[in-house]
Amino acid sequence: MKLRILLADDHEIVRRGLCALLQKREGWEVCGEASDGREAIEMAKQLKPDVVIVDIGMPFLNGLDTTRQLIELDPSFKVIVLTITDSDQVIREALDAGARGFVLKSDAARDLVSAVEAIQSKRMFFTPRVNDLVLQGFLDKGHAISRNEAPNLPILTAREREVTQLLAEGKSSKEVATLLNLSTKTVETHRSNIMRKLSLHSIRDLVVYAIKNNIIQIQMPPQPSATAVTTSPETTVV
Amino acid sequence: MVTSSFGQESGKVFMAVRILLVDDHPVVRQGLRTLLEGRSEWEVAGEASDGIEAVEKVNDLQPDVVVLDVTMPRMNGIEACRVIKQKKPGVEVLFVTQHDSPQMMREALAAGARGYVVKSNLARDLLEAVEEVSQHRVFTALARNPNTAN
Repeated sequence: MKLRILLADDHEIVRRGLCALLQKREGWEVCGEASDGREAIEMAKQLKPDVVIVDIGMPFLNGLDTTRQLIELDPSFKVIVLTITDSDQVIREALDAGARGFVLKSDAARDLVSAVEAIQSKRMFFTPRVNDLVLQGFLDKGHAISRNEAPNLPILTAREREVTQLLAEGKSSKEVATLLNLSTKTVETHRSNIMRKLSLHSIRDLVVYAIKNNIIQIQMPPQPSATAVTTSPETTVV
Repeated sequence: MVTSSFGQESGKVFMAVRILLVDDHPVVRQGLRTLLEGRSEWEVAGEASDGIEAVEKVNDLQPDVVVLDVTMPRMNGIEACRVIKQKKPGVEVLFVTQHDSPQMMREALAAGARGYVVKSNLARDLLEAVEEVSQHRVFTALARNPNTAN
């Protein structure tokens, strides 16, 4: 019986590359591809894959919240988080969300197959670079990374985090309501609760919070350049 | 040494369009390769993972088209494009980037690129863009406001 893998990344070119990489292995098949976290959850419910590979920076619902929701839905889901972000905060959140593997996109060609093999053998997989980061975080802070020491985020409910991401992506309350099948009034209530819980006063504050807490990621212009690159940073997913 | 590649189709002999892929993520290069290798008249001549390596490989491999990312370590794509066009004006550059920004697109074209497409729409745009750019025509398409200009 084949090992069935669901891929979630908003860039089709990345999915193509991952597919090419994974389907070289006999006995593995990519059973579905999702382009955002919400779609990944719907597809996972239907397809019941053996492994779900999720990119962190996805629109509508980021990879960390997708992982949290998948594990809440069914703790037997095996999720590998794929990311360009290698901060120890992201690693901590991925572990806390219940990911079984953590692979940097830059290392994916080398490590993703090993990560899926580890999951197949009921083990976890973290790249050497991630292991170093975790160890360094432990040494720097003098304490271990623990699932219990969860940070700022859990004060928001899963729904509030979804609303936070969508508002930080620039969507209006009405647009959020449409996307989440809620009434505009309910979204506005969520919005007030989020602002109150986080002591924020404006959408600008909310965007800053979302960036700082990896709910959305910021795309920077290239640097350094011989001539000044004047493009402003844009909020996006990678 | 550069070797020319030839193919034959319907009795016509043609020279393959030789393409250099430049992106710091191997998995993206693999995805690009998968898309481009579907066309028999195109050949992926090589890969590079940053701007400096791209400039070196353009010298070594003499590709017809360079598919170039913007954000890369050591030397970014805009700088690499300027250097490539200065040294090899006949080589065409197509940017493939996540920067869905008219301003960045203008900067890329000012650096000498012939094409600019965003990664989120590659399945729609890449093949047409390479086709146009390899014929020395301009192809640009942003995700927000798709627009091609030939």
